[in-house]
Amino acid sequence: MAYHEFDCSTCIPERKKHAVLKGPEETLADALPAGYLSTIPGSISERGCAYCGAKHVIGTPMKDVIHISHGPVGCTYDTWQTKRYISDNDNFQLKYTFATDMKEKHVIFGAEKLLKQNILEAFKAFPNIKRMSIYQTCASALIGDDISAIAQEVMEELPDVDIFVCNSPGFRGPSQSGGHHTICIAWLNDKVGTVEPKITSDYVINYVGEYNIQGDQEVMQDYFKRMGIQVLSTFTGNGSYDDLRAMHRAHLNVLECARSSEYLCNELRVRYGIPRLDIDGFGFEPLSASLRKVGLFFGIEDRAEEIIREETARWKPELDWYKERLHGKKVCLWPGGSKLWHWAHVIHEEMGVEVVSVYTKFGHQGDMEKGISRAEEGALAIDDPNELESLEAMYKLKPDCIFTGKRPGEFAKKIRVPYLNAHGYHNGPWKGFEGWVRFARDIYNAIYSPVHQLAMVDISKDEIPTDRGFVTRRMLSDKNLGEEVRNAPGLRQYTGKFDLIPDLRNKTAKDYPYLRQDAPEELEQQETA
Amino acid sequence: MESLMKDRIEQLVNYIMKHCLWQFHSRTWDRERQNREILTKTLEILCDESVMPEDRLDRCHWVDAVVLAESYRKHYPWINNLSTVEITSLMKGVHARIDFLTITGSLNLELTDEHY
Repeated sequence: MAYHEFDCSTCIPERKKHAVLKGPEETLADALPAGYLSTIPGSISERGCAYCGAKHVIGTPMKDVIHISHGPVGCTYDTWQTKRYISDNDNFQLKYTFATDMKEKHVIFGAEKLLKQNILEAFKAFPNIKRMSIYQTCASALIGDDISAIAQEVMEELPDVDIFVCNSPGFRGPSQSGGHHTICIAWLNDKVGTVEPKITSDYVINYVGEYNIQGDQEVMQDYFKRMGIQVLSTFTGNGSYDDLRAMHRAHLNVLECARSSEYLCNELRVRYGIPRLDIDGFGFEPLSASLRKVGLFFGIEDRAEEIIREETARWKPELDWYKERLHGKKVCLWPGGSKLWHWAHVIHEEMGVEVVSVYTKFGHQGDMEKGISRAEEGALAIDDPNELESLEAMYKLKPDCIFTGKRPGEFAKKIRVPYLNAHGYHNGPWKGFEGWVRFARDIYNAIYSPVHQLAMVDISKDEIPTDRGFVTRRMLSDKNLGEEVRNAPGLRQYTGKFDLIPDLRNKTAKDYPYLRQDAPEELEQQETA
Repeated sequence: MESLMKDRIEQLVNYIMKHCLWQFHSRTWDRERQNREILTKTLEILCDESVMPEDRLDRCHWVDAVVLAESYRKHYPWINNLSTVEITSLMKGVHARIDFLTITGSLNLELTDEHY
């Protein structure tokens, strides 16, 4: 593999070590992009800060918590509602955000009194919420406010509340990834082991590194519950504060996003002897293997097989409908961290698209090792690209679609490249068997959107065809398909509902017969009594 | 013969690098343990030996080994016709190559960080 220098970045020679072209017969030992380094001055990065990583990515998906930022109001506003991590308690954590609203005078005179007043006001305004996370920002860190001391004071005054303090100001690391690290270790040190959970199954897991984007967690939790597994906690999507304090009692940590939370799983293994099982929740084959592994661990693999059979029979014909129409389309896989390796191989294998580039905004070299290994030859791997590099890559690679965040997504649209939001999704959930079909449908809709086709025409110089009328996606996608594919009897477009989450939330205990069957005897006795 | 063995090792190594995640734990000592435990168990399963995990940490390695051995048998059916000696030699080569790609030859500078 060879390091790649962008034409636009020759004036920043350090950037050359951040991009690699995957060549034939070459391995990770030949070249690997540098990663998790401070952004080079002069390179306008698309990264978030360490406060954002701690609060917005990891902390805030916890659902039954007042999330308050101790700092200027802009810090909390800019990390509010831009990622769709829903929850089954009416999205409390999405609807409300809290800030102490520090001003210049507080920087001069201190803001501890302000913080305490805000904490008390917030608990008073929401008397049913008894848990709080406080996030330090650059401003409160620089003036040295002792947030932990204030939190302790409040907990003594209000004995029914519990407060978690996360000291991850924006400058604490080169990117949001620094914040992921800080909050994982802080949660483990301060909160894990402080609650003893009610165990309701012989098979107990923590589901770690899962943020319930548009319901991902609820889809996966449904599979686990159908297998009779108790999901003791989810770190952190749709997760409950007190459940997460009880993580030490799980039998297995099932790890999805290793980038954001492998630290936690590694420490849980060292301190509590809980094994770490890395899984892929995306794609039929990887998800099937993952469910089988979890089943095998507990000796209930037949239950996993039952789900895999049922879900594959239901959804595979729909996935294949899209695969026939996406075959050979070029995509850039440009997410934040883990999705570059969760998706790199499986969108190629199961949807037929060609991944011409992978990048990560805040990933470490370990993420690049995984992503490059899974991508096909010829893929351009980029660490922490700036906007000009991303543009240069798109002009050169000519992707049919890019999967990325909303910042690069916007300038991709300006050069007429359709984009899908890899962080918040378009019409998710994208996890699970049905979710994977929804992702394929979103890619199909993006690539074959008649609007995008019209946008490709430059009215200042292109000839405007006047002999063509109205077109649909289907007319565009099926133009070059043979009759045997166009009307293949076994294939069909997505037939699921607009929103699949309400049905999952409406399930009752009778929908999970294994959970009842596996309930420990003492619990059964307690319930009978 | 040597070239056939090398080619087969590469096929099995490529499968791991593309489809597995266990070889990419974040530190050298973790990768050494993961590679050793999972590939040793995979070898034993492929040789039809009985594997009895000692505890839940060991069972987690066994789980990855079971799924890897099944995948090998499915995607590389020639493996089912090899003798125990041949499989042992093959998996020794796989282990050495995976150790090289993920540990000794790795350019990942975080592998030696003392802390998680």
